[in-house]
Amino acid sequence: MSALAATSVTKRFGGLTALEGVSVELRPGEVHGLIGPNGSGKTTMLNLLSGFYQADEGKVVLRGEDLTRASVQRRARAGVARTFQKPRLLGTLTVLENAMLGSWRETPRRLLPSLLSWPGIRGDEKRNRARAAALLESLGLGYAIGRQANLLEHAEKRFLEIARALMLRPDFVLLDEPAGGLTGPEIERLGIVIRALRDAGIGVLLVEHHTEFVFGLCDRVTTLNLGRLLCHGTPAQVRNDPEVIRVYLGA
Amino acid sequence: MIVLVSGLAAGALFAATALAYNVMFSTSKVLSVTTGHIAMLGGVFGAYVITGLGLSPWLGLLAAILVGGLFGYLTDVIAIRRVVSRSDEHLWLLSTLALATIVQQGVGLWWGTEPRPFPRLIPQDFSAGLADQKYWLPIIATGLLAIGLELFYRRTLYGKLFVAMSEDTFAARARGIETDRIRALSYVIAGVIGAVAGFAAGQLTFAFFALGLTLTLNGFIALAVGGLGSNVGALVGGAALGLLNAFSANAIGGEYQNTVSVGLLMAVLLLKPEGLFGARNVRPV
Amino acid sequence: MTSSSLRSLAGTLVAIAAVATLPWWVADQYQLHLAALIAVYWVLICGLNLVVGFSGQLSIGHVGLLAIGAYGFAILAGRYEWSPYLSLLACGAIGGLCGFLLGLPSLRLPGFYFAMATMAFALIVAELTLALGDFTGGGVGLAVPPFPEPFASPEGFYLLAAGAAILITWLTRNVAQSQWGRGLIAIRDNPVAAESVGVPVFRMKLLVFVVSGMSAGLAGALFGSLQSYITPDTFVFELGLFFFVCIIIGGRGSIYGPLFGTIVLTALPEMVAPLAKLGNLFYGLALLAVVLLVPEGIGRVFEVLSARLRPRKLEHGAVEPDARRLAELLREERSR
Repeated sequence: MSALAATSVTKRFGGLTALEGVSVELRPGEVHGLIGPNGSGKTTMLNLLSGFYQADEGKVVLRGEDLTRASVQRRARAGVARTFQKPRLLGTLTVLENAMLGSWRETPRRLLPSLLSWPGIRGDEKRNRARAAALLESLGLGYAIGRQANLLEHAEKRFLEIARALMLRPDFVLLDEPAGGLTGPEIERLGIVIRALRDAGIGVLLVEHHTEFVFGLCDRVTTLNLGRLLCHGTPAQVRNDPEVIRVYLGA
Repeated sequence: MIVLVSGLAAGALFAATALAYNVMFSTSKVLSVTTGHIAMLGGVFGAYVITGLGLSPWLGLLAAILVGGLFGYLTDVIAIRRVVSRSDEHLWLLSTLALATIVQQGVGLWWGTEPRPFPRLIPQDFSAGLADQKYWLPIIATGLLAIGLELFYRRTLYGKLFVAMSEDTFAARARGIETDRIRALSYVIAGVIGAVAGFAAGQLTFAFFALGLTLTLNGFIALAVGGLGSNVGALVGGAALGLLNAFSANAIGGEYQNTVSVGLLMAVLLLKPEGLFGARNVRPV
Repeated sequence: MTSSSLRSLAGTLVAIAAVATLPWWVADQYQLHLAALIAVYWVLICGLNLVVGFSGQLSIGHVGLLAIGAYGFAILAGRYEWSPYLSLLACGAIGGLCGFLLGLPSLRLPGFYFAMATMAFALIVAELTLALGDFTGGGVGLAVPPFPEPFASPEGFYLLAAGAAILITWLTRNVAQSQWGRGLIAIRDNPVAAESVGVPVFRMKLLVFVVSGMSAGLAGALFGSLQSYITPDTFVFELGLFFFVCIIIGGRGSIYGPLFGTIVLTALPEMVAPLAKLGNLFYGLALLAVVLLVPEGIGRVFEVLSARLRPRKLEHGAVEPDARRLAELLREERSR
């Protein structure tokens, strides 16, 4: 039981049911695609897994521990990281500082050590900085390390957000439409990064519109429609499912 | 009985301030720090025209309305228009706070920092007790303002545009509604509401430069108690706050007014955060 | 040590030396008094800066905490004749406690609600100082005892206040430059992103608010002693507004910007007579100008100017991830 799983979760907003009885299991070392038309509940599912929404029914479990009611922060500390549809960065800080923000698992929750700048804090800070620099370098953002984040181009922002998520040392990374707004070659590089995460044993949830990208990359794919599970299986199975073709892929 | 009536009179002023908050909030999603200062301007300019210039009360009312409307318009032009489109939600708080400070201190320099008496509007001697105009004028004024506002929302085209804009600004703009003009109009209307209420309650509050800040707070408490966005809530919240203040002043003395008001606010926020008549918001992610 | 950190160390030492020797190079006693006042204000503003400038919570009512510190000191050191040093520390603790009690319910509220809650707090404190006459002297006020030698003289008091100011500057700078500083800025600019990486948002807001309460309590004790006599009129709401304006004008997310703002806004009305006549109107005008023209604060103007002077070309290279290195790095991290 090392997975991050949502079991038959339901989420309603007022009278609208965004998700109804859907289950998704995200395993380590696997890329799991989540596709479906607009309004099918993909992002709602991602928000339920990361804790921004809480399920009305059903459960969210991480490594056997019930996290259904846990806060976003608690899940982040437990190793669930995410990115956003529209990158959410701190524009006035540098690229390096934005990445460093991700290492909150190693930061003391007490204020006193930071106030007095204890030697331990300085050591942490140094390690944190080196780790962020190495990570940015390997993601191909080394050249932009000292740059202010709001001066970045869109693709750079996307990769920086992934770097921040990886600074958590996550076991699971939830990507919310990471290919949105990227060019063909950039999407290819994104694929390289996602495969590297998988090879390192991280479980990746990929919420995406770009179906070719999803089918080429994922080990398993879940398709949603109008808040319900449409189909679940390997890319080949999903791609050939008559319902999925009818509702989503088209002929 | 006198406690009840004076409480309702003060409550009427709080309620009108809360209405002004609502009108501005509906089109701009801004809670303006200047809201209480509008009523202060109504009182001060009313007193200036009637006592200072020796003109008739009707001209005083007209001056209050003009000054209130103008100040509402200027609030939009100076503090809202340039700021509201930016993503930083704190900016409007800062800009309206700055404008409120400027107006309050400006009036303080010009009018003086001591409260000055507000003239009688209708001939009446001071022995009327409960029937004194200083109590029922604000109550009637707020009642008329609330009814007028409701008719405006229901019966006029502009009122319907307000409602459309308060529900979804982007959709309203997409449908070709000139949101900038509607917002400016809403600020003018809020200015008129506040100024008329401040004028009508002048005999209760005196013409006093620092009234604005107190009213900004108390009007806000009335609004939060009644529920942001609800005009019925504004009236109920204002009345509740006014009565609570009056009865507590009667019971434990008038020195603890703010403490009591904030106690009410805290109690409501803890028990029913969206207020008595407010709508619960879905969290935006 | 790199040359840049060496340079910043040298700059810090020069600044501290200038502050420490100030009593021997100011023109007159009045300027010394002004310098002491700036140091006292800065003790409060520097703590408040963590709340307003970093975590982005717009508190306009810190004058209430200042009043609590000043009255606390007058009562403890004056009436009960505690040691002034012990009283000073107690005022810091009381300020922190009041900050905790104010922050606990109000820091969960959205921006405008929070600002109103802090303003209401300031008005309540003003009301209570007036109402609880047996304790606070009511409208008549209280005499506040001076500090004993060596801090009794104007020079001595100035050095005490400047010492406190330097200490609090050092503490907040430590926070600002650590992961906590980044966390606070994330809370201000993008709370959703902050949560997503595990920043304990409410806890951090509350803790820095308590720190700001402590610094306000300390500042209050020093302020009371500097004024030597306090009444409820000493702590008008506009004073709280002034603290707030110093930070906004200096620029959020910076320490030296608000310091600059404090010095200029305290000294300017004293030096330029027409501004003194405008009084608080001047602060309103200054705030409006900054919000409309340079919302990032005056500090930002210098940055922009220096960037104009030597433009750097930003080359947007293609983001070329190195898959092998990335995989190695991740595997290494995860094996730990």
